[in-house]
Formats: sequence, structure tokens, C-alpha cells
Amino acid sequence: MMKAAPTLSSAFLEAAGSKLPAPLQALREQRGKALADMPLPTRKTENWKYSSRYLKLTDELAASLPAGRNCGPGLAVDGYHIVIHNGVLVPEASDFPDVDGIEIRSFVDLDDETAQQLADRLDNTLDNNAVQMARLNTARFEDGLYIRLRQDAVLDRPLFVIFEADAEAAGSVYPRIYVDAGANSQMTLVEEYISTGDQTALVDAVTEFSLADGANVTNVRLSLEGENIHHIGATGARLLGHARLDSHCVGFGGPLRRHDLQVRLEAPGANCRLNGVAVTQDKQHFDNHTTVEHVAPHCDSEETYRNIAADESHAIFNGRIHIHKDAQKSNANMSNKNLLLSTGAEIDTKPELEIYADDVKCAHGATVGQLDETALFYLVSRGIDRREANTLLSMAFINELIEQIPVEAVRETVQARLNRFIEQAFEGA
Amino acid sequence: MLSIRNLHAAVDGKEILKGIDLEIKPGEVHAIMGPNGSGKSTLSAVLAGNEAYEVTEGEVLLDGENLLDKETEERARDGIFLAFQYPVEIPGVSNLQFLRTAVNAMRVHRGLEELSAVDFMKLAKETTKQVDLDPAFLKRGVNEGFSGGEKKRNEILQALLLEPRLAILDETDSGLDIDALKVVADGVNALRSPERAVLMVTHYQRLLNHIVPDYVHVLAGGKIVKSGGRELALELEERGYGWLGIKDSDEVEAG
Repeated sequence: MMKAAPTLSSAFLEAAGSKLPAPLQALREQRGKALADMPLPTRKTENWKYSSRYLKLTDELAASLPAGRNCGPGLAVDGYHIVIHNGVLVPEASDFPDVDGIEIRSFVDLDDETAQQLADRLDNTLDNNAVQMARLNTARFEDGLYIRLRQDAVLDRPLFVIFEADAEAAGSVYPRIYVDAGANSQMTLVEEYISTGDQTALVDAVTEFSLADGANVTNVRLSLEGENIHHIGATGARLLGHARLDSHCVGFGGPLRRHDLQVRLEAPGANCRLNGVAVTQDKQHFDNHTTVEHVAPHCDSEETYRNIAADESHAIFNGRIHIHKDAQKSNANMSNKNLLLSTGAEIDTKPELEIYADDVKCAHGATVGQLDETALFYLVSRGIDRREANTLLSMAFINELIEQIPVEAVRETVQARLNRFIEQAFEGA
Repeated sequence: MLSIRNLHAAVDGKEILKGIDLEIKPGEVHAIMGPNGSGKSTLSAVLAGNEAYEVTEGEVLLDGENLLDKETEERARDGIFLAFQYPVEIPGVSNLQFLRTAVNAMRVHRGLEELSAVDFMKLAKETTKQVDLDPAFLKRGVNEGFSGGEKKRNEILQALLLEPRLAILDETDSGLDIDALKVVADGVNALRSPERAVLMVTHYQRLLNHIVPDYVHVLAGGKIVKSGGRELALELEERGYGWLGIKDSDEVEAG
């Protein structure tokens, strides 16, 4: 007899009331109801094939992490910053921009009319069948950031949003951002996910971007949480004519790390660069799923993801490019390179191309390998220590992508952490 | 300084070196010539410690110590330098970072203080001039996108910075035009000193017009079949390898 697929525990759907405006509260309840019978991903769920075994939505994770104080300094920031502690904004730790045409507000502070407009748009950038867990976010968020850039508005410095999960008790938290970028507006958003405390916790984060004609948004997403944090994230973006999304996702492994990135190029000239780096060690996990939808003709996408897996860790990349029937003259490139630092590590990579237009340029490549022996010999033949040579070569493998992150403070933080990761990976080797 | 005694080496089970004997003293420049496939590059690779080659017999002593027991990096720190025939491109590691890491590894081994980034930059820039390489090459990935000549000059730049006791040049002249050849030869001549030896492996005599060797050895079939002074190289140029009873595969192919 077939066992029925497990469903989401009802404990997750007994969310307490929130201070959200009525339209958002209504959306939340509606999503909650729809989730009641949602089967949880299993090994047989294609887009969770390699990761369902890491997904453990136990009842103890259902409770919201209690709002509290800000726990301490986040990472180096160089720009405006907003600290969100267990889902609640901490004004005294934040430095909001005061720039013409740019509005940043907490969901709980929205008037009903704006809240209704937002409620109508939330989840619109994401294919909900593919990212079931984003729906849980919508059913559970207690606050969020609504960032609105009016036409031609330019944010002069990067905006850092620091999401701190404070896991002194077990529970979950549901960070949410919606960016509405008007025509020809520009901004850089750096999301940093960090944690304190040592209890098991789930972070289910969703960020959405709506880019009007000519809008130019850079998004850096840093996944830096501790070993006790299970992280499921989704980023969705819809781009109109000549809009550009420059995305840089950097993540360190954990017991469960999953990120879905979905980009829709909906009008001619829309273009995106999607860079990603994930590194895993010990028994860690990291799963990146990306989808680029070429809906309109004359759009470009350029995607480069690299993984390093050490010890007995497991990294996954699944990259889908979907070129719709009318998307002639699409230009899509996707590359995924992987470095295995130990025989016990596992990397699964899968490019998926679906092309329905006949006049397109589409290239993809995926490799899994080890460090290049000839390069290693060259370095040690100059007297360089073998371990240092390994480190140099591993760093080189991902540095190419890190150097493209257009925020210096982020590059430095990330490079230091990656160096540490790589040194650890070769310790005792 | 370097004593090679009855050295046999194989790759993939096939014996390439079949008993090499060679003595190199400080200050000397030796040239090893021979047709393609004679084992010249194998000798360089074995001395540098390339693990693709297996030493099956014989020994190599550097200053009385067994060289073959040492790892590649230890040999380098003891003063063995191999200028590669095909220098490796390493995108993502800057030439500057690579050179500084190597120089500092060497300095630590010699009991000297490591050079700061600023001091090293100064030294590196000066040295690039000596090999006629634009300092901009320091910022690029190691050998990344360098032309053949630039790669060879980068090898000599490394030799000048690392100050080896024995510099082995593996076909350093191959693929160089005459101007680049002169630059490389000037660099090698700058390396010459009473404490340092040079071992040049080459197919052609032309490099030896610029770096005048003290000894010339002809390697064929995995053995040194003839040794002499500089005039041996000139004779080889004039008469080819045939008079020594050696078939040059190049000539065979050409014929």
C-alpha cells in the first residue's frame, strides 16, 4: 500500500494574529488555508529530489521566534542599513536613506490602500508550484519591507538589510521584502542572513523585485547563518523593457540551505546577470535552483554559478532556462562549475533548457572536477606550500565571481570568510 | 653541487631515461641537447619532482643530500628552479600574489623576514624591467592570456626573484622570436654567478649563441652519448645529430 505523502504539520498554520493591515492579514490567512493540505516535498518531488532528506519541518520549528532585541553587530556595512531581528524591524539599529522618490516602509505601517496594492502583487514574481515553501512565508510573515522607488529615483549608496535570526529557542521566522522599482530607478540591495543562538530554527525568506522600464537593480544575497539554522529562500524578479537585474548570491552551507531564484524577462531589452557561489563542508548542504524565463524577444541572461564541496558535504545546482515561443533573438548563457575537495563530497548539477523559439543563442555548460594537478605542480615548484597552493587555487575558482560584486565591504567580508572556509577544508589534508 | 648518477626514469611504465650521469658544479652552465623524444624534458621534470615520472634506478644529490626523497616544494626551497616549457595559466590567482607567496616562502626558508606588499611590489616592478615585461602583467592572472614570449619572460622573472642555486631551463627558447630570445638570454645571463648553476635543455643551438655554455651534452635514447665544450654545439648545428649515429625524429619526419 502506498503511504500518503506527508503534509505540512498544522502547527505551522496556527499562526498567531499579527499587526498587519487588513489586506495583508487577509492574504496571509488565504495562503494558510491553501497550505493546509500541501504535501511536503519528497525524494520523488523533482525539484526537491536531492534535498528533501534535509528538510525537517518538525513541530518545534512551527512557533515564531520571539521578537526581542538586536543581538549585536552585524557584518561590515557600507551604506544605509536596516536591521530586522526575528522578523521585527529594529529602528535604533537602522540607518534609513532619506532620498527623494524612495520610500521604505514596514508592512505593519502601510495604510490599507497601499497594503491592498501590495497584497495584490505579493507572490506574483514567483511560480508558486515550484516554490511551495515561499507560500509558507506568505502564510506566516508578521512584517516585511516594502521598498518603492519612484521613476528616476536613484539610491546613492547600497542598502543593507540584515536579517538576524536569534535562535535562543527553537522556532521559525519569515523575512519578506518587496521592491517596486519605477522606470529608470536604481538601487543596490544587500541582503545578509545571519544568526545568533544555538537552537534549531527555520528561516523562510522571500524577496521580490518588480522592475519597470529601464530600472537597474543590483541584489547581493549573503547566506551566512549558523549550523543550527535551516534556510529556505526564494527570490523572484519580473523585468520590463531594458530593465537590468544584477544578482550575486553567496552562501555557506548548513543543515539545509535552499535558494530558488526566478527571473522573468518580460519585455524587449530586459537583461540579467546571475552569479552564485556556494561552499559546503562537513555534512553541510546547499541547493541552488534558478529559473530564467525569456518571455519577450531581445532579452539577455548571463548566469554563472560555482560550488565547492569539501568533506562529506552536498551541493546542488539546478539551472533552468525557458525560452518562450515569442522570445526570438534571446541570448542566454549558463555555466555551472563545481569543485570537489574530497572523495566523500557530492555535487549534483542539472541544466534544463526548454526552447520554443527558433532564432536564439543559448549556451550552457556544467563541470564537476578537482583541482588542476598541473597548476598545483606549477605553484609548488616555486616553493609554495602545498596547502597554500590548494587554497590559492580554490580561491581562484570562486574569486572571479566574488570580484564582480560591486560593493567593496561585501567583497572583503566574503573573501575573508571564504578564505577561512578553504583553509579549514584543507586542514589535516 | 648536483650529482646525477645512473638515473633511470619511466612514465606509464615506459623507461625514458636509461642511465644518466652528470656532475654540475657551482658557476657552471650546462647545455643538454638532443633530438625530440630523447628524454630531455623528462630529465627536467624528474629533477623538479613531477610525480608523473617514476625514478626506477639511480640517485640525484644536491649538495650531498638526496634530492629524490624530497617533495617538489622542498626541492624548490633548496634552490631548484624549473623554467617550464609550457608555463601554466592560472586565472583567478594574480601574478603578483603568486610571486609574492613564492618569494616569501623562499625567504622564510632562508631565515629572512617576509616582504610586505609594498616592498614586494617595488622589487617586482624593478625586476619586470629586467625582462622587459610591462608591470601591468603583475596584476593579471598567472600567465593568463600571456603570449608565448611573455610566458617565457615571466618564467625568467620568477627565476630572478627566487634566486635559485640551480636553474633548469626546459626548452626556454622554443617559440621565441629573436628579440624575445635576447631578452630571455639577458635574464639568464644576469642569473649567472659563481654560486649558481644553469642547466639548459634545448633542441636548437641558437640559444647557445646568447648564453654560452661551459659544457654541452648530447642526450639520445635516454643516455648522454657525447659531452664536450661549446664547440660541440656548433658542430651539432653544422652536422645535425646524424654523425653521432642518432636519428632526429624531426629530420626523419621532415624527410
